[in-house]
Amino acid sequence: MTPDIHTLVGPYVLDAVDDIERAAFERHLRECPECRAEVDDLSQTAARLADGTWSVPPPRMRASVLAAIGQTRQLGPVTTPPRRAGGRLTRPRRWIAAAAAAVVVLGGGSAVFAVEQQRLHDERESAAAAQADAARVQAILAAPDLTIRQQPVTGGGHVRVAYSRLRAAGLIMLAADTAPAGRRVYQLWTVRSQHAVSEGALDVGQTTATRVVDGLPSAFDVGVTIEPAGGSTAPTLPMVADLKVT
Amino acid sequence: MSDEGWDVMAEHGMGRRAQHLTPVPASQAAAPDAGELLRAVARGDEAAFARLYDLLAARVYGLVQRVLRDRAQAEEVAQEALLDVWRTAARFDPAHGSATSWVFTIAHRRAVDRVRAEQAAADRLARTGAASLDTPYDAVADEVAGRLERQQVRHCLDALTELQRQAVTLAYYHGHSYPQVAQLLSAPLPTIKTRMRDGLIRLRDCLSAGVNA
Repeated sequence: MTPDIHTLVGPYVLDAVDDIERAAFERHLRECPECRAEVDDLSQTAARLADGTWSVPPPRMRASVLAAIGQTRQLGPVTTPPRRAGGRLTRPRRWIAAAAAAVVVLGGGSAVFAVEQQRLHDERESAAAAQADAARVQAILAAPDLTIRQQPVTGGGHVRVAYSRLRAAGLIMLAADTAPAGRRVYQLWTVRSQHAVSEGALDVGQTTATRVVDGLPSAFDVGVTIEPAGGSTAPTLPMVADLKVT
Repeated sequence: MSDEGWDVMAEHGMGRRAQHLTPVPASQAAAPDAGELLRAVARGDEAAFARLYDLLAARVYGLVQRVLRDRAQAEEVAQEALLDVWRTAARFDPAHGSATSWVFTIAHRRAVDRVRAEQAAADRLARTGAASLDTPYDAVADEVAGRLERQQVRHCLDALTELQRQAVTLAYYHGHSYPQVAQLLSAPLPTIKTRMRDGLIRLRDCLSAGVNA
């Protein structure tokens, strides 16, 4: 093995090499099984750096990708180690454009276009309404002192609380596995200086909710109860989840 | 990290193990295995690809977005990466690592390629901002779950020396090449190359020790 080229193992695994170095290093890998093993091993580690970097993609992306694969030829297996092409952006990008165009064509007709416009319009409207809230949520989540707690909910699921003293606000996120039986609903509470304050009741059948709560860091407790539809003015015990803030 | 760890967390929460931030083992019953799906995808199974998409798209998109810091571009590059997965699925070799990390390797390289291309040609296309408009509100809950999971990695990154940590994160999360990293850190090239490698080794040892954040 060439010791010099081998010093690129770290940069290679982190994609911090240029195309020429990458090609040279991959040639080296084909001749050096130990190096291959080390790269495999460290690549697993590097992939762990992607932990928690996830974010929900726009829903339209799914349809777009699934449409595109129908028009994308697959490569056959190789017996030599795979040499993945890097920096060849244009072709797949063109494919995506072509696939998107194909979808429009398949959809056909101006009626479809009009419906699409209306849908887009509606989306923008509701998005604008959600955006102010979303901005607050982002501000809270980006706070350097963000604290996150989580508790199971009786009957399955969990409630998560994320709050920041700097922002003097927090989030309550409920994700129950099942809705309460009958015409009953989940209701969220905070306990502040002995009083239980309602943070909102969910709708019948609703199992998940996210609430922005002002002053959450100064509450002692976050609770979840099951109440009659519409919610109650005071919590009905027992709580299905009770989470200490502080 | 199991292939489905994040998925399980998202779907079922962390239940009684709420305080433990180590990845939760996949529930064998329900969660599809990324490796199995990828093998089916290699045979042209579009339904398997759809399931693989559901399993990994959020992480692919999240990773790409982390590197590019731009939602509109992230969407485009994530699509390219996912198409790459479809195109090259037959070249996945489980002997070299897990299916999940193979997918992230592709996604990361795509993102870095875009960073480099951007640097070469500063083509800042008008961004409509439309990309974020239809992002479901659930993204908030996802973000929080992601943060829980991230704590272990962050903890292990903190265990590196300052130079190791900077070298690794400037390359991985910012898409800088090692000469750029060397310049940013005012360190000689050989040092940076070495720190990237021993930083990764230390990270590996810390992560496999399963240390909680």
